[in-house]
Amino acid sequence: MFLKKGFKIVVMLFFFGVALALFYTSLFIKKDFEPSVMIGKRIPNLVSSSLLSGQDLNLKDMINNEIFVVNIFASWCAPCQIEHPYLMKLKENNVKIIGVNYKDNDKNAKNFLKKNKNPYNGVLKDKNGELSIFLGAYGVPETFVINKNFIIIDKYIGPINDEFVNKVLNLK
Amino acid sequence: MRFFFLFFFIFFLTDAFSSEIYKRENDITKNLRCLVCEGQSVYESNSDFAIDIKKFVNKELKKNKSNEEIYSFLKLKYGEEILFNPEISLKNIFLWFGPISFFIIGIYILYRKFNVEK
Repeated sequence: MFLKKGFKIVVMLFFFGVALALFYTSLFIKKDFEPSVMIGKRIPNLVSSSLLSGQDLNLKDMINNEIFVVNIFASWCAPCQIEHPYLMKLKENNVKIIGVNYKDNDKNAKNFLKKNKNPYNGVLKDKNGELSIFLGAYGVPETFVINKNFIIIDKYIGPINDEFVNKVLNLK
Repeated sequence: MRFFFLFFFIFFLTDAFSSEIYKRENDITKNLRCLVCEGQSVYESNSDFAIDIKKFVNKELKKNKSNEEIYSFLKLKYGEEILFNPEISLKNIFLWFGPISFFIIGIYILYRKFNVEK
């Protein structure tokens, strides 16, 4: 009888522990590199007009057999200002960056790049947010690391930091 | 007069087509989770993410895409999480059958308890 009661308590404690662990992981564990279904998939060939020249730009024509970064930004997005120095760091280390200008006013976006310097090798306009959907993005800023075979190998939601820069530089 | 009838015919046809699209758009977006909101559907939310998805769904419907094609495209980009009604798979089998299993186990325990007491 005692054993039976003890067994019941153990089972109850086990389920309580599992529930507690589930709540703890979903509430308190911070995920810097968000898991994304797009990781491991080929990046879609983004085609749009260029913010700076107005001509049609094709993502795959801008890259030649190298690791590169795709960054979604907007002039109205405050975290994009925070991450800008880190994008400049990547540029200084010869990492190609393709910008996707999300739902922005052209004049404001150009002023943003003039004021903060332009880290991008090309900027695609995303007037209605469709390019971001093709990338499986949630908002701005969002950054993707793409390998030589155009496979998305990492994704960062929010402003990038030194850790991200070092990670990309180590991949080169 | 002919021109007048033709005008109204085209007008009502276009209206019927757009209200059909509007209805389908609402049905689809009600079944899509707004991934940047707390417990809201794309239909209910006014976040940038939800607005983009609504526009995208509308555009795809105008291209004569079926509901399934739209769902599978969005599932490819955002994962099963975007659907309010996920498909039954090995990953979410507990989600589908967990509650009913606990219910059956509970009924069994109660049945045993009352039978033993009798």
